[in-house]
Amino acid sequence: MNEPARIDVEPDPVPIVLILAATLRRAARTPRLAAAISHAKGNVALRSTVDPQAATMRFGNGGVTVVRGVSDDADVVISADVNKMADEKPPKPKVTGVARHLKLALTVSKLLEPPHGTWQEEAQRFFTFATAHPGIPKSMRVVCTDDGSELTLGETPAEYELHGSEHALLNVFCGNSVIGQDLLDGKIFAVGKLAHLAELTGRSLAWMLGG
Amino acid sequence: MTMDAAGAQAWLEEHAINWVKTEGISIDGLVIGKHLSTRKFVASLPLGNAITELVLGYDIGGTPFLAWWDDWRRDALGDFHQRPDLSTLVAAPDRPGTANVLCDIVDLDGNTLPVCARSKLRNVTARLAAHGLTSKAAFEIEVTLYRESFAEARAKKMQGLTPMAHHAPLGYLHYNSRQQLRFLDVVLQRLDGLGIPIEGWHDEAGPGQFELNLDPADPITACDRVIRIKQVLREVALEQHCSVTFMAKPSHEYGNGLHVHHSLARDDVPVFYAPDGHELSELTRHWIGGLMATMPAAVSIFCPNINSFRRMIGFAAAPTVASWGEDDKSAAVRVLSRSPKAARIENRVAGGDANPYLVLAAVLAGGIAGIEQSIEPPAPLGVTSWGLPAGYPHLPNTITKAADAMTSDTLLRTVLGSDFCDYWVNTRRWEWLMFHTTGGDPMASTVTPWELNRLFEIV
Repeated sequence: MNEPARIDVEPDPVPIVLILAATLRRAARTPRLAAAISHAKGNVALRSTVDPQAATMRFGNGGVTVVRGVSDDADVVISADVNKMADEKPPKPKVTGVARHLKLALTVSKLLEPPHGTWQEEAQRFFTFATAHPGIPKSMRVVCTDDGSELTLGETPAEYELHGSEHALLNVFCGNSVIGQDLLDGKIFAVGKLAHLAELTGRSLAWMLGG
Repeated sequence: MTMDAAGAQAWLEEHAINWVKTEGISIDGLVIGKHLSTRKFVASLPLGNAITELVLGYDIGGTPFLAWWDDWRRDALGDFHQRPDLSTLVAAPDRPGTANVLCDIVDLDGNTLPVCARSKLRNVTARLAAHGLTSKAAFEIEVTLYRESFAEARAKKMQGLTPMAHHAPLGYLHYNSRQQLRFLDVVLQRLDGLGIPIEGWHDEAGPGQFELNLDPADPITACDRVIRIKQVLREVALEQHCSVTFMAKPSHEYGNGLHVHHSLARDDVPVFYAPDGHELSELTRHWIGGLMATMPAAVSIFCPNINSFRRMIGFAAAPTVASWGEDDKSAAVRVLSRSPKAARIENRVAGGDANPYLVLAAVLAGGIAGIEQSIEPPAPLGVTSWGLPAGYPHLPNTITKAADAMTSDTLLRTVLGSDFCDYWVNTRRWEWLMFHTTGGDPMASTVTPWELNRLFEIV
């Protein structure tokens, strides 16, 4: 059995550090990506082009440590609109340092887009995480607006409903975006009480930040 | 004074009042409410005017807290009430025909909400009374005055403003006080009209900064006065086309604090008094022990914003370790036990942006926890509390560390209540999230435009 990849964060981490670490942990569920994390060496920074958010992934010693800011010794720097990275067609990021650190850049590009299951599998995974928290609806009906497929999580009848495209559902259930924000942005739709929405959004946020 | 609706009606008529401004207090210490016709005001008694519950569901920047739900909230968005405390009804000295009244926030059945800061403090003083103790408190309000109007300051993004004073951080300089007199004269007249006594005021160390020293009063009155004084300072600034801020750290200069002194008495006998040559009483020791033990958690209330922690640095006159000492101004808790008339304890941690009701509630709750659990204090450090290296009991220095301290605290919440503490922690974690995800710069070494935009005018 493979050793789990070491994924650490700085003390008192900022959100982008937690989000990157959570993404890397999702990637590490896949053995070859876990191995990639363990064997990678070098520093890769992600810098937001729309606000001051930035973090650096420092690979080495069998794992990765994520810290705030763009480290001076970053080998590769990815500049991206962090608010649109989860879009269906995200703007192309600007990447520097690729020529000298091609392997590292390619590895990180795979780590930052980890494989995922079907929207139903990811929904189940999120719901299992969320229902450990009080205030979450006991059951939730999820409807994929692309093909009308649906899934009921928990007991019936459903106390809450989420509707969205496959892409939108995968985003929220994989922790790439937050339920409340996507609802405000019109990317998903919901039927239910505000109290449930608030609690689901809180869990969605926690999911994005790594639980 | 005890007053019912009929009494209020008579008072309003006697003072020729046409409008009543209701003053409720948000969790962030902002004054919220309505202007009501006297007819509507009287008709709304005793429950008071309705106000949408949304005002309790927004952060200080106007974003809804959409990440948790509290039991006291209603499933459907509805109203709460601002129940007037008629003992605070006062004619507004600057607006004939208008009266102001402070309010508690209650549900439809008149039950106070766990997030009503004024009620929270009242509950804490009731707990104190159950021990046969009463308290008096007096705040020191620090504020910074600028020559630019709020509109001009806004246009400059609150940066590069002109302090209404000489630039050197001297403090107590009458040359500076003289420049602030035109402003302070009006402020003091208005406070007199509101029945708010002031012991004195003086130029403080930050450029444009001055400090008002309030008379001791019962805890609720002491906080009511802070809230009204802050309103008056802003209103006079608006009228005189200048600006003030209570931000804990509006610039790289000295920050604004909100020190609070408190005394205890049992049967009118001062509890903290210990004549020269005498040890502190057991009760005083336990009280201080409680203040020390709860301080890391209480920092979350004393320093409510990202910006609050910029004041808590090395040798900048703000406490950075949980320490106490007899007449030690470098300590977080300064004990003044030697005067029979003025034996008291000063808590020096809170920033000017803190909610005074919650600050005092946290201080008293800490002391109460100390006497209820017989907590002995650590020895005084015996050294200057500023600029100390690792190994000393450093206070949380970020909003998240302070929230973590309150989460793991088991003392403060025995008095303040877990519902309140959990709600508070949620709001502080939310504030952290807002800073980092809506433009705040975590790498900035000084106050950021995000903080100024969010806090300068309203905290």
